[in-house]
Amino acid sequence: MSVTLALPSKGRLKEKTLFLLQEAGYKVQLPADKRNYRARVSNEPDIDILFLSASEIAYELGSGTVDLGITGEDLLRETIAHPEKCTEIKLPLGFGYADVVVAVPDIWYDVYNMADLDDIAADFRQQHGRCLRIATKYWRLTQKFFSQKHGIQVYRIVESAGATEGAPAAGSADIIVDITSTGATLTANGLRMLDDGIILKSQTCLVASCLHGMHRKIDQICTRIKKALCFLERNSPST
Amino acid sequence: MKPALSLLDRRPYPILAACKIHEVKAAAEAAFNYFSKNGLTVSEFSILQPAEPFLNMAGEDLRRRIFMTTSDNGDSLCLRPEFTIPVCLKHIASGHTTPQHYAYGGEVFRQSCDANSSFYQAGIEEFGAANETEADARSLRYATTMLRHIAPTRDITILIGDHAIFAAMLAALKLPDGWQKKMRRCFGNNKQLRTLLSELSRPMQSPSLPHTVSKLITHGHVQALAEFIEEQMLNTGICPSAGRTPQDIAARLIEKQAIADLHLDSVVLAALEDFLSINVSLDKAEQTLNYFAARHDLALEDVITLFATRIKDIDNRGLDLTELRYNAAFGRPLDYYTGFVYEIRNSGHKLQVLAGGGRYDRLLTMLGASIPIPAVGFSIWLDQL
Repeated sequence: MSVTLALPSKGRLKEKTLFLLQEAGYKVQLPADKRNYRARVSNEPDIDILFLSASEIAYELGSGTVDLGITGEDLLRETIAHPEKCTEIKLPLGFGYADVVVAVPDIWYDVYNMADLDDIAADFRQQHGRCLRIATKYWRLTQKFFSQKHGIQVYRIVESAGATEGAPAAGSADIIVDITSTGATLTANGLRMLDDGIILKSQTCLVASCLHGMHRKIDQICTRIKKALCFLERNSPST
Repeated sequence: MKPALSLLDRRPYPILAACKIHEVKAAAEAAFNYFSKNGLTVSEFSILQPAEPFLNMAGEDLRRRIFMTTSDNGDSLCLRPEFTIPVCLKHIASGHTTPQHYAYGGEVFRQSCDANSSFYQAGIEEFGAANETEADARSLRYATTMLRHIAPTRDITILIGDHAIFAAMLAALKLPDGWQKKMRRCFGNNKQLRTLLSELSRPMQSPSLPHTVSKLITHGHVQALAEFIEEQMLNTGICPSAGRTPQDIAARLIEKQAIADLHLDSVVLAALEDFLSINVSLDKAEQTLNYFAARHDLALEDVITLFATRIKDIDNRGLDLTELRYNAAFGRPLDYYTGFVYEIRNSGHKLQVLAGGGRYDRLLTMLGASIPIPAVGFSIWLDQL
């Protein structure tokens, strides 16, 4: 029985993932045509490799069209309605670290935590004739965090496809929920994370879809990748 | 309850048994029969409504609980989750004079975790009545008689609350404005209010601010602080007039500083606890409130007088005061409820809300009415009868 493994289709994530597979002993044969998004593993003909964007990988894992995938936990929790029901995080891979955070303009010296933001949101309509606007591509995570965890109800989400950090300066939103790894982009855009504003600490993970049950082949791949990861960690120059 | 409110209400929505269509139909027929008996014209509302007003009033969280779709030109629409907002929008658009009654009934739609997603409601809203307490009493009288008309044998309890008394008590306790606002937001949600009270009982930690800012705050220079903030805003490319203004931020910084060293003391806490525990039949409510005010030396004459007038109006309309309960902690946690609120429940162990209503003087203005229009109304959950 063959296993479909979905990998990030570009950038550093693609490089790191391919390196990890190579360390795990999988000989991935990249297609001659770079525009082709499929690949084979020469020493494991049962594995089909698909190159997809990271958020598509999350979606396909949720719907069960791929068996295994490498994607960020943030995308998994954002894209799938019940990630714990239809997917299982097999292994955090130790790269692609990023936090999904609530950030406000740094100049809001009076806003340091979610309780402050609750006050601001409650008064916003009365003072400005509209709701507080949050720019984000993380609808689901934002709603859960604001409404369910902190009881903040009156705000509106402004969907942002990219360059979310620019939204407050552009005037299209008041605050943002976005991903950050070093915080440098936030600082560069005059934004500051709230003290209790971490919604999710995310990293790149090896994820299995549970919709078709787990078969041995999937476990085998996970084990081999895990071993390779341990080996790399032991031999990394920093330790 | 004003339905928009119940969308936000954290209480679990009573789970319906398999919806028996003929029984709901009988209840709906009885409701319309009540309207015609009382000379009320029934207003019709489209099942598909613009989604924006609902989302703007109740917030983004509502999105998960309503059924949304998009029109062919891209506008967001939803299946009506309640009637109050459509009634308000219709009134504003029609330019009708006040006072005006609206009677309505029909299906409403909400996503729920059990199988049911459509419910039946009927209710009456009254806009622009000159006499506030009489309109409140009239609304309560309509709700109870209509409910009894539909379900004559049902054993019910009627719960009365008042946002205005709670607000006046906070003001009389001379709590900082920011705290009063926080507490008013939690009113009606006991758990949230308790959490807030315990947080406010502890001293707060103040964050470290840039030196210039903290110096200006310590000296209380609002204007200088606002100017400094404006300059910083312009430097970082944030428009000082698009959202929060430098004045907003400066004022709140000073306000925070003023209460930085404060925490709720035991005297105030005792008064709050004492108030929230008031739970008496309505005939004893005025006396109980007066006694409470005297015991804690609080000036509450104005709100208590208004409350007493309303009780008299309710009495005059033939409702038995001993059967109505005033619970000082009962309220509806939505920011457009301004005063009198009530709920009719099934007597018995399981909390089952049959009808809810109240005064919402702010909602029409929030929805775009050019002048303030006082409003009071209720909805009955027909499926529950």
